[in-house]
Amino acid sequence: MTARLKAHGLSRSFGTTRAVDEVTLVVAPGQVHALVGLNGAGKSTLMRLLLGMIRPDQGTVSVAGTPLDRLPAEHWSRVGHVIEAPFAYPELSVRANLEMAARLHLVNPSLIPTMVDQAVSELQLNAYTHVLSRRLSQGNRQRLGLAAALQHHPELIVLDEPSNALDPAGVILLREAILRRRDAGAGILVSSHHLDEVARIADRITVMNHGRLIGTLDPHTTDLEHAFFTAVHADDQAHR
Amino acid sequence: MNTLRIALAAEARKAAASRVFRTVTLLLIVGIAVLAGGLLFAARAGNEEILAKLGALADETGWPLLTNIVMQVTSAGGLAAFGIALSWIFGREFVDGTITSLFALPIRRSTIASAKLIIYLAWSALTAAALTLTVGLLGLILGYGPPDRAAAALLGQLFVLTVFTALLAVPAAWATTLGRGLLPGIATTIGIVVIAQVGVVAGIGGWMPLAAPAIWAMRLEPVSTVQLLLSLIIPAFCWLATTRAWSRLELDR
Repeated sequence: MTARLKAHGLSRSFGTTRAVDEVTLVVAPGQVHALVGLNGAGKSTLMRLLLGMIRPDQGTVSVAGTPLDRLPAEHWSRVGHVIEAPFAYPELSVRANLEMAARLHLVNPSLIPTMVDQAVSELQLNAYTHVLSRRLSQGNRQRLGLAAALQHHPELIVLDEPSNALDPAGVILLREAILRRRDAGAGILVSSHHLDEVARIADRITVMNHGRLIGTLDPHTTDLEHAFFTAVHADDQAHR
Repeated sequence: MNTLRIALAAEARKAAASRVFRTVTLLLIVGIAVLAGGLLFAARAGNEEILAKLGALADETGWPLLTNIVMQVTSAGGLAAFGIALSWIFGREFVDGTITSLFALPIRRSTIASAKLIIYLAWSALTAAALTLTVGLLGLILGYGPPDRAAAALLGQLFVLTVFTALLAVPAAWATTLGRGLLPGIATTIGIVVIAQVGVVAGIGGWMPLAAPAIWAMRLEPVSTVQLLLSLIIPAFCWLATTRAWSRLELDR
């Protein structure tokens, strides 16, 4: 089956710093692929490259088998993402934000009310439907951004540190939402430094360090934290 | 075309809900009318400083005096307000961080940028109409009587000048995009205001595109239709440059 997302030999430098270094990565349908790494490892830069927010110095990205620069615009309607800031216009209510996000993903207007109701219910934003997003807590703004990224049931989902600012209840809702979409066949790339959370949802864990992918971890490893630091330490030693 | 319609609806919704937009609209309509009314009363009362600032206008009365004062305020203050509004329309996406949500969408970013500019232009035309109506009402309140053909022409010129003034602020959209924030747009707007004012004072006349609409509307010097239309070159170029910059945008800083 065609990979939902594929990167090959992807590199990008900022000045003399190699932020992403020859990364090759695949996100398969029905798979949660977690990207773990320390702060500054290059996870967010890699995700920006994968979604066309920055252009690579070398390497290619393809979505559903089509290179990014030839991807028909309509195909992006089957992609959902949260990179850094959530989709939350401060002057709009939660509902208005979700309706707008759905339209921008070309969802048929007649389907939007039900879709928004389901998204509000899934991320438990019911009490805030008519609240302006500027009045939401950071955690609820993040829930709104996740709802906007997931509500149209995309085939490819890219989430950068999605559990940031979420309370424990929000983390569980996010986990369930991700797993539901994985079971429905979506390919999901998620970055995180919460290893215990990653272990609960990931089918594949890739470790990133200094812009390079340095190996994988088994999600069922009993001491994931130890395995992670061993991999990072070994890479640091090897590249001294 | 369908995606442009969707982008237009999204941008219109943001603009309609925005406090910044409401404030700037109020400033443009009520602020300019109040400022012009104040100047008018000061001139009537014989305030010498104000009379000196009005120059040749001080000899006018009735509708010509009122409309010319409003045009003077609009060409400087109005331009600043339009520039701030446009800087906000584009700059807020970078400041609020929502720009990342405008990537990886089935609607091209150049279409979103065009939608922003079209909504801005539509709002500018509505604001120009509201300002013209407000000045018309002000004239009636001041007892100038219903506008005759000459006064109606002046009010028409005020409308056209306001729309041209809004267009002259379009470089702020490009600057905001290149600078990824509000400040570059606001700084560019201030620069345009200064250049336009210097152009008027220096007597370069209608060949100065940033000053030509104001010189034409206030009849300071003869301005040909060609000269007036030439002033559209800068907004047209900056419109294209802005959509291209959005199309090529990279979030690399």
